[in-house]
Amino acid sequence: MSNLRNLCSGNFRRYLRWGDRISGQLRLGLLTLAPILTVAVLLALLPPDGNERAEWAQFIGRFHPLVVHIPIAFLLLVPILELAGLNHRFSYLRLSAGFVLGLAMLSATGAAILGWCLGRSGGYSGPLLTQHMWGGISLAAVCWLCWMLRLSDGEQRSTFIYGVALALGVGLVAWTGYRGGQLSLGEDHLTEHMPGGLRQVLGLSNVQASLASAGANTFYGARVEPIFAARCVTCHGPEKHKANLRLDSYRSLMRGGKDGPVVRAGNVQGSDLFRRITLPLDHDDFMPKQGKRPLSADQVKLIELWIGAGASGTLPLAAIKDAPTGSASPTAVSDVTFEEIDPAEVTRLRAGIAPAVAELRKRFPDILEYESRGSANLILNASILGPKFGDSDLEGLAPLAEHITLADFSRTAITDRSASAIAAMKQLRVLRLMHTRITDSTLQRLGTLDQLESLNVFDTPVTPAALPTIAKLPKLAHCYAAQTAIPSQIAVPQPLIGKLVF
Amino acid sequence: MSNSKARPNDRGGREGNSDMHPELQMALLQAQTRRHFLRTLGGGLGTLFVGTSLAEYAGAATDAGRSETTSLDFTREPSSPLAALPPQFAAKVRRVIYLHMAGAPSQLELFEYKPDLKRLDGQDCPASFLAGKRFAFISGVPKLLASQYPFHQVGQSGHWISDRLPHLEKHVDDLCFIKSMHTDQFNHAPAQLLVHTGNARLGYASLGSWVLYGLGTENQNLPGFIVLLSGGKSPDGGKQLWSSGFLPSVYQGVQCRSHGEPVLYLDNPPEVSRPLRRTMLDAIDQINQQTYAAFGNPETITRIAQYELAFRMQMDATDAMDIRKEPAAVRAKYGSKPGEASFANNCLVARRLAERGVRFIQLYHWGWDSHGADPKEALNLGFADRCREVDQPTAALLADLKDRGMLEDTLVVWGGEFGRTPMRENRNGQEMKWVGRDHNPGAFTIWMAGGGVKPGITHGQTDEMGCEIVKDPVEIRDLHATMLYLLGFDHRKLHYSFQGLEQKLTSVKPARVVAEILA
Repeated sequence: MSNLRNLCSGNFRRYLRWGDRISGQLRLGLLTLAPILTVAVLLALLPPDGNERAEWAQFIGRFHPLVVHIPIAFLLLVPILELAGLNHRFSYLRLSAGFVLGLAMLSATGAAILGWCLGRSGGYSGPLLTQHMWGGISLAAVCWLCWMLRLSDGEQRSTFIYGVALALGVGLVAWTGYRGGQLSLGEDHLTEHMPGGLRQVLGLSNVQASLASAGANTFYGARVEPIFAARCVTCHGPEKHKANLRLDSYRSLMRGGKDGPVVRAGNVQGSDLFRRITLPLDHDDFMPKQGKRPLSADQVKLIELWIGAGASGTLPLAAIKDAPTGSASPTAVSDVTFEEIDPAEVTRLRAGIAPAVAELRKRFPDILEYESRGSANLILNASILGPKFGDSDLEGLAPLAEHITLADFSRTAITDRSASAIAAMKQLRVLRLMHTRITDSTLQRLGTLDQLESLNVFDTPVTPAALPTIAKLPKLAHCYAAQTAIPSQIAVPQPLIGKLVF
Repeated sequence: MSNSKARPNDRGGREGNSDMHPELQMALLQAQTRRHFLRTLGGGLGTLFVGTSLAEYAGAATDAGRSETTSLDFTREPSSPLAALPPQFAAKVRRVIYLHMAGAPSQLELFEYKPDLKRLDGQDCPASFLAGKRFAFISGVPKLLASQYPFHQVGQSGHWISDRLPHLEKHVDDLCFIKSMHTDQFNHAPAQLLVHTGNARLGYASLGSWVLYGLGTENQNLPGFIVLLSGGKSPDGGKQLWSSGFLPSVYQGVQCRSHGEPVLYLDNPPEVSRPLRRTMLDAIDQINQQTYAAFGNPETITRIAQYELAFRMQMDATDAMDIRKEPAAVRAKYGSKPGEASFANNCLVARRLAERGVRFIQLYHWGWDSHGADPKEALNLGFADRCREVDQPTAALLADLKDRGMLEDTLVVWGGEFGRTPMRENRNGQEMKWVGRDHNPGAFTIWMAGGGVKPGITHGQTDEMGCEIVKDPVEIRDLHATMLYLLGFDHRKLHYSFQGLEQKLTSVKPARVVAEILA
C-alpha cells in the first residue's frame, strides 16, 4: 500500500527518472499479483473437498457473500466511467476510472480469499463450486491486468487490449455471479419461475425434469427418492456435496458421507439421516439446515417406514402397507387459483341477454342476478318476493329461461301452470320448489332438465308418482322430499337410491 | 362530490369543489395520509416527465390502464347501497350462519380426543410445554388435566367426540373440523376482534360487513347482516364485533333483540297510519337527499337507507323473527321457548332469516370461559350447561338446513376465539377450587358445514396433549380467506380504500385459502 501512496505522490515522482517509475509500477504490480497467485495456488493444491474445517476460516468465509458484491459494483462502474468519459462534457470522469479499477482489483482479491476460506472449510465441493472459484480468481487477475494497462496509459495498442480485457472482466462477473447464484439458490434459479410464454421462446421445457431414476414401481423410487430430490439434493447432490454426502442416487445414498453411512438398513434409530431430520428444529445437526422448511410429518414417516423395512432399493411399492399417501408430492392439494375476469369476454358472453336482463331487473329488482361477475348465467331467487310472485311473473322471464342455472321458487304462488316455463330452463342446476303448490304434473314435465343436480320439493303435494321422471334426470345428486306425500320408507327406483333426502 | 357514489374516498370526486362544507373538507384532509404522500413522492418524478413531454398521450394511456384494471367495482346507486352484486366468481355458498361461542370453549372437552392426556392427568406439566409461553393466568408449574368427559367414535368418519354433544354428534359426518386454528391473541376482546374483523385492534370492518359490502343482500325488507345474542353476557369484544369499521355504516350488523320485539319502536305509534308514515318519510328523504347533494357524505345515504329499511321492516321483520309461527314440533326440535332470550330461539330465527335471503347471520353464545374460578365457569358444571344450551339447537339448525336443501349453499361456522390449555388453571400458583383450563391461543378447534366444504373430515392436528399445532396450521386470516373464497371472492380483491391503504379483511399478511377442506 505504501508503494501506491508513493506512486501517486508528486514529490516522489519528481525525483525519479522514467525507468525508475516503470520499475516502481512493476513492483507495485507484483505486490498486488502475489495474493492473487497465492489464492490460485491454494485452490489448485487445497481444493474444497466437502469437509468442514477450522471455525475461524468458516467465520470469515461467511463474509464472502457480503464482500463479493463490492468488486462487482466497482468493476461495472469502470466501463461506465470510461464510456461516459468519451463525451467531452464528462471527460473528467475518466480520471477516476483507474482509481475505481484499483479498488475493484483489491476487493476482488479479498473476495476470492474469503471465498476460498468458505469453500475449503464450509463443507462444499462439486464442479459448480470449482467453476465459481476459478471464475472469481480469474476475475481478480483480469482486474489486475486492466489496472496495469490503465496505469501504463497512452498507446493505442494497449488501449485496445485494455478495452478487451475490461469486456472480458464484465463477462467474467456475469458468469461467476451466475455460478454463485446457482450455488446458493439452486441450479435453475433464473428459469425456475419464468413465465410459460418466455420459456417457450427460449426453448426450455415446461415440465420439470423427472428426478426419479430408480424404478417407479419400487418404494424407494416412487416414495423416498422424490423426497430427497425435492428437499435434499440442492446441498447433497451432483453439484454440491456437503459433508461428502450425495442423496441423488441409491448407491451414493447408501455409501454415506464423511462420517460413514447415514442409513442403516432396518435400524431406524441408528440411521444418522433419520436422526437428523427428527431432531428438535433448533438443534445444530438438524436437517434441512436452519432457514429451510423441515420435512413434513408424512415425509418423515415414509423415510422411517422405508429404513425400517430394510432400506431396499428394489422393494416393490406395494410391499409397505399403510404408508402415508400423497406425501411423495409435497403439494398434493394444490392451492386454489382465482379466475381473472376479462371484461371484453364478459361483454361478449352477455351481449345476447344484457338488454333483457336490464329490462327485467327493473321489473324484478333483487331477484335476478348474474351468477358471477365473469358469467352470463343467471340466478333467479323468486323466494324473496314470496306469494307476490306468480305464474304470470314467471312468464315474463321467458326470454332468459335458457340462462338461468339456479331458480328458487320457495314460498311463491306459482302453480302447475308454470310447468312449461320451468321445463324451458334447460341449464338449471338447482331448482327449489319448497312450500309451493307444485304437483306431480309439473315434475313429470321436467325430464328435459338434463343439467339438474339438486331438486327441492320440500313441503309440496308431490307424490311417488313423480319419482320415475325424477329418476331419469342424469345429473341429479339430491332430491329434497321431506314433508311431501312421498313416504320416507318408500322403495325408490334404482337410480334414486341414496339421493332422496327426507 | 355529487358524482361520487357510496364511497367516501373516491378521489375522482374530490377535486375542484371550493364551496365544500368545512367539516367535509376536514374529513377529506384526514383521508390524505403518509401513504398518499409516499405514493405521490415515488410517482411524482415520473409524472413530471410524462406530464411535460408526453402530455398528449398521457391521458389516453391512463384511461386505457383504468379500463384494464382488475380491481372490482362495488359502487351502487346511492339510493340502494345494499343492492345485491354478483360475486367475483361462481360462489359455493350464498349466505353464512356464524355461531360464535364467546369465551372460548374447551376443545379438549368436546372434539379433541387426547388419550395421552388422560394417562398424564395430575402430573406436573413438562417444562418444554411452558418454555417461552405466556398465559393469561397460569403461573409456575401447572398440572396436566385430562378431559372431564368420556369420548367415543361416531359416524362414518369415526370422529372422536365427547358425550356432551349427543345431538350434534348425529351430524358429525356433515362437519369439517379444523383442529389447527391458530391465533396470536390470548385475551378475549382482542381475540374476538381478530376472529370477527381480521384485526385485534378496534376500528376494522367485521366479516359480515365485508360480505354485505361485497355481495349486498337480496331481501331489501330485512337487514342483510343480523346479529343475535342469546342473553347472558355480551361478548367482551362488544358491538365492535359486528361494526362496519371504515366501511360505510350501512354495512354494519343490525343487532336484534332476543326477546320481546326484535327491533324496538318498529311499529307505528298509535293513531299513525302506514300512509301517514310514508308521507312523513318522503319529506325527511327529500331533506336528506338535498343534504347529500350538497355535501356528498355517504353517511347521509346510510341515514336514508335506514329510514327506508325500517319502513319496509315494519312488514317483514316481525314476521321473520316470530318463532311462534313455527309448528310446535319444530320448536320442540330446537328446544326453543318463545319469549325468552336463548341460543335455541336464535337458531330457529337464523333458519327463518336464511330462508328469507339474509346474507350474514351472526349468533353469539356466551359463558364458555371455563377457568374454574366459580361453578358457572367450571368444566364439570357451567360448561356442561353451555353444551346443553347449544347442542340441540345447533343440531336442529343443521338438520333443518339439510332437509330443506339449504345446506348446499349455506355455510355454517362454529367456533370460539381461541382454545384452552391441556393444563389445569392454577391462578397465582394456587389450585383452583373448580376445574378449569386457561386460554390457549396456540391451538383451537372450529368446524364448518355446508356448501363447498368437505363433510366428515378433519384438517390439521395438534400434539399428544392438544397444546400446539403439529400439522397444517390455519391462521384466522386463512379462515377468512377460505370463507370469502366460498362466497366467491379472492380475498385480495375484496378491498376498500381507507387511510391510503387498500384495506382487506385478511389485512396485509399473505393469507392462504385452505384448499384441503374444499369439496
